[in-house]
Amino acid sequence: MATGLIRPAGALDAATALQPYRGPWSARHAAHLLRRAGFGGSADEIARYAGMSASDAVESLIRFPDTSSLPEPPDVYDPRPLFASFIRGDKTQRRALFMQARKASGASIRSMREWWLDRMLVTPAPLQEKMTFFFHGHFTTAALQKGVWPSYVYAQNQLYRAHALGNLRELTMAVSKDPAMLLYLDNADSRKAHPNENYARELMELFTLGHGNYTEEDVRQSARAFTGWSINRRTGEFFFNHRTHDDGVKTFLGRTGNFDGADIVNIIYEQPACARFWAGKLLDAFVYDGAEPPLVDAVAALIRKHDYDVAPVVSTLLRSNVFYSPRAYRALVKSPVEFVVGTHKAFGLRRIEPRSVPALAQMGQVLFSPPNVAGWPGGQNWINSQTVISRANFVASMVNAPVMAQSTLARMPLDAHAAARALADAILQGDAPPESYAQLEAYLDGAGTSALGALSAENYEERARGAAYLTMAMPAYQLA
Amino acid sequence: MKRGNFLLGAISGITVVANADHVFARALADATLPGLPGSSDRVLVLVNLQGGNDGLNCVVPHGNPQYYQLRPALAIPKNDVLAIDGNLGFNPTMRSLKAMYDKGMVAVVQGVGYPNPDHSHFRSTEIWQTAVPERYEHTGWLGRYLDDANLPATNLFNGVALAQVLPEVLISTKTDVPAVAQLQGYGLFSDRNAAARHTFTELVSDNRFPFTSPYLAHVAEIEDHAQRGSEELPRLVAGYKTDASYPATPLGRSLALAAQIIGSKVGTRVLYVQHGSFDTHVSQKATQDRLLGELSDALKAFYDDLAAHGNDRRVLTMTFSEFGRRIAQNASNGTDHGEASPLFLVGGGVKGGMYGSLPDLAQTNMGNLRFTTDFRQVYATVIERWLGRPSRGILGGEFGTLPVLA
Repeated sequence: MATGLIRPAGALDAATALQPYRGPWSARHAAHLLRRAGFGGSADEIARYAGMSASDAVESLIRFPDTSSLPEPPDVYDPRPLFASFIRGDKTQRRALFMQARKASGASIRSMREWWLDRMLVTPAPLQEKMTFFFHGHFTTAALQKGVWPSYVYAQNQLYRAHALGNLRELTMAVSKDPAMLLYLDNADSRKAHPNENYARELMELFTLGHGNYTEEDVRQSARAFTGWSINRRTGEFFFNHRTHDDGVKTFLGRTGNFDGADIVNIIYEQPACARFWAGKLLDAFVYDGAEPPLVDAVAALIRKHDYDVAPVVSTLLRSNVFYSPRAYRALVKSPVEFVVGTHKAFGLRRIEPRSVPALAQMGQVLFSPPNVAGWPGGQNWINSQTVISRANFVASMVNAPVMAQSTLARMPLDAHAAARALADAILQGDAPPESYAQLEAYLDGAGTSALGALSAENYEERARGAAYLTMAMPAYQLA
Repeated sequence: MKRGNFLLGAISGITVVANADHVFARALADATLPGLPGSSDRVLVLVNLQGGNDGLNCVVPHGNPQYYQLRPALAIPKNDVLAIDGNLGFNPTMRSLKAMYDKGMVAVVQGVGYPNPDHSHFRSTEIWQTAVPERYEHTGWLGRYLDDANLPATNLFNGVALAQVLPEVLISTKTDVPAVAQLQGYGLFSDRNAAARHTFTELVSDNRFPFTSPYLAHVAEIEDHAQRGSEELPRLVAGYKTDASYPATPLGRSLALAAQIIGSKVGTRVLYVQHGSFDTHVSQKATQDRLLGELSDALKAFYDDLAAHGNDRRVLTMTFSEFGRRIAQNASNGTDHGEASPLFLVGGGVKGGMYGSLPDLAQTNMGNLRFTTDFRQVYATVIERWLGRPSRGILGGEFGTLPVLA
C-alpha cells in the first residue's frame, strides 16, 4: 500500500505560486475549478465556465447570486414545544414525550441530509455551499447527541452559510455562541465553580491554532472566560448567564485581564499561529494537502493582510498559478459527498436519488454526523476496500436507475469509439490512460464475447450504462 | 427498464484468465497446500458488544448486598445466578459460557476502563477502538498492530472485519482490511457481469494517466484489492464444512463465517465481529438477557466448530463494550451510561478464571464503577502474549500484561 505523498517533479515556485494564472483555459481547467469550488460540474456548467476567462469564472463563483429563494428543509424538528410541555407532566409522560421527540428528530435529520445534498446539487452558488460544507467539517457538531436537536443543527448550518465567504474571526465568535456548538462541546453547562474545558480546548486545538500553540494553562484560563456562555433551554437561544460566569482576572496567551469569551476569540486571532493554521486548512481543502511551508506562509500573510476575510483569500487561491499547476491537479481524494453530488452532476440530474443517503453512510460520510469533533480525517482515509466497493456499487445502482433515461447517457453516440470518447471526456475530462479508452471502446463493442454483438440500438442502453459505470470506477474519478 | 440494466447482461461468453502468479490462483490450484503464510498462526477475534453492556448483570456480584439495594427490580436473584463462587456468577442465560468457564476456557477481567471516562457512545467507542483516550486518533489499535506485524503484504486478508463498514479499530495506515458483512452480496455488483468485471480489472491496472497525483497509485491499488479480495474470499472459503449449530442470529452468522475463514487457512490474523445493541436504558432485562444468551450460545458453537477443525487452541476471542452501565437502576427498569465493566477472553489458549477486581460498589465515581484494570493492559496482554509483538509502539506506552494466557 502506498504511503506518503508523491508530488509531481519540480520544486514549488513560492514567489509566483499565488500570482494569477495566465495559462491556457479549457474544459479541463473549468472542471477542476468546479470540483474544488463546488461539487463538480454538469456538462453544461463545465462548458459555460470553459467559455469564460479564468478570472471571470472565479469571479462568478465568489460574487455568487442570492440563494434565499432555494427551498428550506421540509422537516426541521423543533424541541421547544416539548420543553414547554415538560413543565407539566410527570416523569413517565416526560419520558414518553422524549422518546417521541427522538424519533421525530431522527426522521427530521434524515430528511435534512437529503435536503442538503439537493441544495449542493442545484444551488447557483456552489462556492457558498462548498464553504458551508467545509465549515461543517471544521467546526463540527454531531446531531442527536448531547441535546443537539435538528433545529439547532439547521441554525448552525445557516450560520455557516451566512459566513461562507465572510470573516473567520466573526464566524468563530458566532460559533462560540451557537447553541448546537455550546451543547456539543459542553460549554452550555460550564460554570464558574466547575469550568468545562471541552470547548476552550477544541477552539484552540481544532478550530483556530493547532496543537503546540497554547499551553494547558491557556486552556484552563480560557475555559474560565467562557463560563456562563450557555443557552436558554426554553427558547433554544444563546444566553449569557452572568451568575455562572467567572469575571475574575485571567492570563491567556501572555495577556492579562477580566476576559470573557469574546476577548479570548480576539486574542486568538491576534496570534500569527492562527493565520498559519487557517492557511493550512484552506490549502488542504482547496489546493492540495500538506502544502510546503513557504506556501503556507504566503497564504498566512494574505489572511493577515485581509484581516481574516475569506473571500479575497479564497479568490486568490482559486485564481493562482499553484491552483492550476500539476501539483494541485487531481491531488485531492473526493470526499463521499463530493463523489455522490458530483456523480449526479455528471449525469445532468437535478434531484438527489434517495439511495444516496444510505450509500454515503457506507462510504463513510454522514452529513450532520461527523465521527468526532475533529471532523472527517479525509484524504487517504476515504479509500479502503470497503469504501471503494461502496463507491462503485453506488454508481452501479445509479446507472441502472430509471432516472437515467433522462440523463446525459440517453444522448450518447451510437458508435463505440465515439461513445468511449464522449464518456471519458464528459466524466473525466479526458483524464484517462489511452489504454482505458481502448478498454471502454472494447466493452461498448462487446469485444471478447461471442454472445454479445457490437454496439447497436438494441443493446445501446445497457452498454452505455455499463460504460458510464466503468468510467466512474476508474481511479482518476475518485480524485478531485 | 430491465433491458438496460448492464448487471443483468450476459454472464457467459467471456473467459477471464486468472493471473497465474497470483497467490490465490496458486492456493486454489493446489488443494493440498497448507494454506497461505500465517495460516497456522494465532488469531484474535474481537467481539464488540455495542451500546454499553451492563457488566453487573452479566458477571453478577450476587454476594454483594449493595448490588441488590441499588437494583431493586433489576438485580438477578441469587438463586438464578450461575454461581462461580460465593460472590460472583454469570447471568442465567449464559449457561454455555459458564460450561466453557468450568472447562478453563474463559477468563473474566473485571473492572476494565480508562481514565476520565467519556459517557458518549461515539467517543467512548472511539477510545476503545483507537486505544488513545487523550486525543483524536484515527487509526485503531489492531490497525496499528497489522501495520507493525510484518504480515505478508500480498495477503488481502490479514485482517477481516465482519461488518458493513470498516470499524475504526482496524483502520491503519498501511494495511487494507476488507469489511464483509456476509459473503452473499459482498463485493462489486459489476463482477456479476463478465464483460464489466474484465473491463474493471483492466481499467484499474492502466496507469499511464495524463496527470500525476499523490493518491492515484494508492486508489488503483485499493480498487484492485477490493475486486480481487471480494472475488477470492468466497472462493477460498467455499470448501469449509461444519456441523456446529450456531444461533440463527447476526452474531451466530458472523462467528460461523469467522470459523470458516480461520479454517480455510487464508492467513487471517485478526477478525472483528459485532453484537448488540446493549444500550438498555429501558426495560433492560429482556434485551440484555437475549443478547447475552445469544453471545454465550454463539461462542459455544464457534469453539465447537473451531475444535472440530483443530483450531480452538489458536483462536483467542476477546469481547469489549464502550462502557458498563450505572450501578443503580433508573426509573424505567433500565440503566444509564456508566464506566468500568468486565470483558471476556475465550479460547483454548486462555488460563481460565477471574482477573482484576470488581470495582467497589460504594466508592464510586458519581454512581459509576471506577476502573480497576486499564483497558490498554488487556490490549498489551493480547498484543505481546498472544500476537507476539511489542505493545509499546502500538499503544504509545507501557501498560504491563496480565497472566491470563497459557
